[in-house]
Amino acid sequence: MSPSTKTTKTTKVSSQDAAGHSTNDNTGLFFILPAVVWILLFTIFPLLYAVFTSFWSFRFGQRNQFIWFDNYQRLFTDQNIRWALFITILFVIITVGVQMLLGFGLALFFNREIKGKNIFRALMTLPLFATPVAVGYLGITLYYESNGPINLFITSLGGTGRPWLSNPTWAPIAVMLIDIWQWTPFVFLVSLAGLQGLPQDLYEAAEVDGGSGWTLFRHITLPLMAPTLWLILLLRVVEAFKVFDIPTSLTLGGPGRATEVYSLFTYRTALRFFDHGYAAVQGFLLLVIVMVIVTLLYGRIRALYEMPR
Amino acid sequence: MRKKKPLSLAGKIVVGIVIIVALLWVLFPFYWAFLNSIKKPADTFQPTWIPYLQFTPTWEHWKAELAIPEIRRALINSTLIGVGAASLAVPLGTLAAYALARFRFRRFDNGSLTTWFLSQRVMPPVLFVIPFFLLMRQVGLLDSVFALILLNATFILPFPVIILSQMFRELPLELEDAAMVDGASRFQAFSQIALPLVVPGIVATWIICLAFSWNEFLFALALTSKDAIPMPVIIAGAEHTRGVQFWFVGVRVLLTMLPPTILALLAQRYIVRGLTLGAVKG
Repeated sequence: MSPSTKTTKTTKVSSQDAAGHSTNDNTGLFFILPAVVWILLFTIFPLLYAVFTSFWSFRFGQRNQFIWFDNYQRLFTDQNIRWALFITILFVIITVGVQMLLGFGLALFFNREIKGKNIFRALMTLPLFATPVAVGYLGITLYYESNGPINLFITSLGGTGRPWLSNPTWAPIAVMLIDIWQWTPFVFLVSLAGLQGLPQDLYEAAEVDGGSGWTLFRHITLPLMAPTLWLILLLRVVEAFKVFDIPTSLTLGGPGRATEVYSLFTYRTALRFFDHGYAAVQGFLLLVIVMVIVTLLYGRIRALYEMPR
Repeated sequence: MRKKKPLSLAGKIVVGIVIIVALLWVLFPFYWAFLNSIKKPADTFQPTWIPYLQFTPTWEHWKAELAIPEIRRALINSTLIGVGAASLAVPLGTLAAYALARFRFRRFDNGSLTTWFLSQRVMPPVLFVIPFFLLMRQVGLLDSVFALILLNATFILPFPVIILSQMFRELPLELEDAAMVDGASRFQAFSQIALPLVVPGIVATWIICLAFSWNEFLFALALTSKDAIPMPVIIAGAEHTRGVQFWFVGVRVLLTMLPPTILALLAQRYIVRGLTLGAVKG
């Protein structure tokens, strides 16, 4: 911006407003500092405390012994955490995959003039804000084995009811279905917003050239929507990795450990077995995994957004 | 929006079927909860779907549940947590949003600052359960609504920062510039000119923050034990030990999820922007 405001190095932050007028004071700091300090206070400090905690063994919920990296070593031999990680990754891949396909498909379908579309869109936002714990809790009745509505529906179609919540194969599916119910509208709403922002003249030009529906989709819609779709994927994957509420209220992680997802496993390590040090280590492992995925996806999104159209 | 050729009759029927199936899929759980909440226990397992025609509804369960002191307490707690956290995060976030939109910081560029705010949403909350639990125990804030207000405010703070900084950027600079030429301070330009123009956005962001804090479960479960229990905690897992009482499930589920869903309907226009942290405009 304007070079005339070169300040001496003693000024920590020099401010200019976006139009390039120098303000030459620290007003900007006054605006931004409260939020920055707040977040630092409530995240960095607890994070440091978690690092400290991770080096200790605990007995009866009290710090017992400084054990260096022993808690970290346990990660490599712990069968249960391997299972928790596996079931969580499976959950992420399946739910996010289905949500992307269903949501984007529905958005393509609704990307036209339909009467009452706004009402339909409004109703689609309802699952997004329905308390996840409450939905899981309601799921207990929806999946009820004898005469629950889902099994009733299946039998009315001539199938046999499933042991949704008592069988280790069906319980994870039950959890995933609820997550899919809740978050497909998110993919739908965001991709619909993206589709409606696409430039129309491209389509008109292509149609004049005789492009068919599939060609238009393949060569115009998909490339133009790519940044939005990657972004949706990123947001969904991050949230899906944190899954906790639905399996906790629907199946309590069971039967056995069938739906004991990562966050639930860590929660139990911390507050049922009071193994705070090990729980802190588990938390960091999850953070690392999510950070790696975010970095990979974010780089991809950056590249797409900066690509000349 | 794309203008396509008018649909044929067959096309219209297909569209109609898709809409009906999608709506049934989305709305059924809500209706199911409502249905159970007004059915007498004896009617629970009857496959009846229309009140008055197929069964006689009753409001007994609503009355019974709302008379329970723990439920009332939880409703109050949830309200305090939602309103408190949103009312803390939105002013803090609005100030930071304005800073990101109007100032250029030397030490850290604005892009990195924005990314830093965003990165707060990436942190897995379960990582914070242990330190928060231990710290709150130390300062005697376990089982307090106050602690939950503070934590929720922290984790929703990125929403107002990102959403509102975009809205401030969309305002024409000339208005504030003119005011400052006329002698207004930067703060006056902000509070008297920029702020009133983004009020709808602020209200919508406040609503979204409230809904998220209301729905938050992990911290609430970890940090409350009696007095500060909000609705999401009171309903979790209770039925596993007592056997399922469909009618009470219905009432509690609706008491918990109706407030955030209805509020979110009011913030309709801003929801896509809110949920994508401003990356996609709805």
